[in-house]
Amino acid sequence: MIDKLCDDAKREDIAVACLYYDFLAQQEQTITNVMGAILKQLVSRGGIPKEVREAFQEGKGEVGGRGPRLEDLVRMLRISIASLPRVFICIDALDECLPKLLPEVLKSLRDIVWESPGARVFLTGRPYVTEDIKKYFPKAAMTPINPKPDDIKNYLDMRLERDAEPQAMNSGLRADVVRIILGRISDT
Amino acid sequence: MRWLSPLEPNSRHQGVRNDRFDGVGDWLLETSGFREWRGGEGGADKAILFCSGDPGVGKTYLW
Repeated sequence: MIDKLCDDAKREDIAVACLYYDFLAQQEQTITNVMGAILKQLVSRGGIPKEVREAFQEGKGEVGGRGPRLEDLVRMLRISIASLPRVFICIDALDECLPKLLPEVLKSLRDIVWESPGARVFLTGRPYVTEDIKKYFPKAAMTPINPKPDDIKNYLDMRLERDAEPQAMNSGLRADVVRIILGRISDT
Repeated sequence: MRWLSPLEPNSRHQGVRNDRFDGVGDWLLETSGFREWRGGEGGADKAILFCSGDPGVGKTYLW
């Protein structure tokens, strides 16, 4: 989907930013690093805006050098988004965000989106984060994801086609493999 | 740019793209929910699309 949006972005004046939350990266996926990563992708298209430069100079001047503050990042994100007619922000696996940070992530997103009519946010996560999202975005569109038998069959065909030992395979066995795996999926 | 964030989400996306099988997740692009969200009608109220699913159903590979 990101690739599809990016293809469109080449034609139209839109920008796409993505972020994948990961249990194993919780220590470094702080809220400022996450918002900074989104901003970084949005500004990489059109040169670094004046406001970002100024915040960087200010931070550098402080003792030990200081990273960007959340409020500054939210402000810079709003400015960057306002300069583009359409911006897509895609965040994967919200459930893998450190739970104590999630409310602030959603609040920051809301602060950005409310001021930015051109922003669209795509989120994925396990069903239990639905309640958290509704708290901040009561009108969010919700789509449940289930494995699609067609997707799985295509994938199985590809894997069987590339099997390292094709001589061990025959058409009967092959049909059984596909039938049994697809059967298991429809049971769940 | 590194000052903004040390994270590099683009490299993670490359990994997903390489592992993904062509056409997976295309069904989502055709749903009315996705089209409405993408088209941007409804303003800030309709700015969020949330896809939920249990571990392993393929949420990440929609990307």
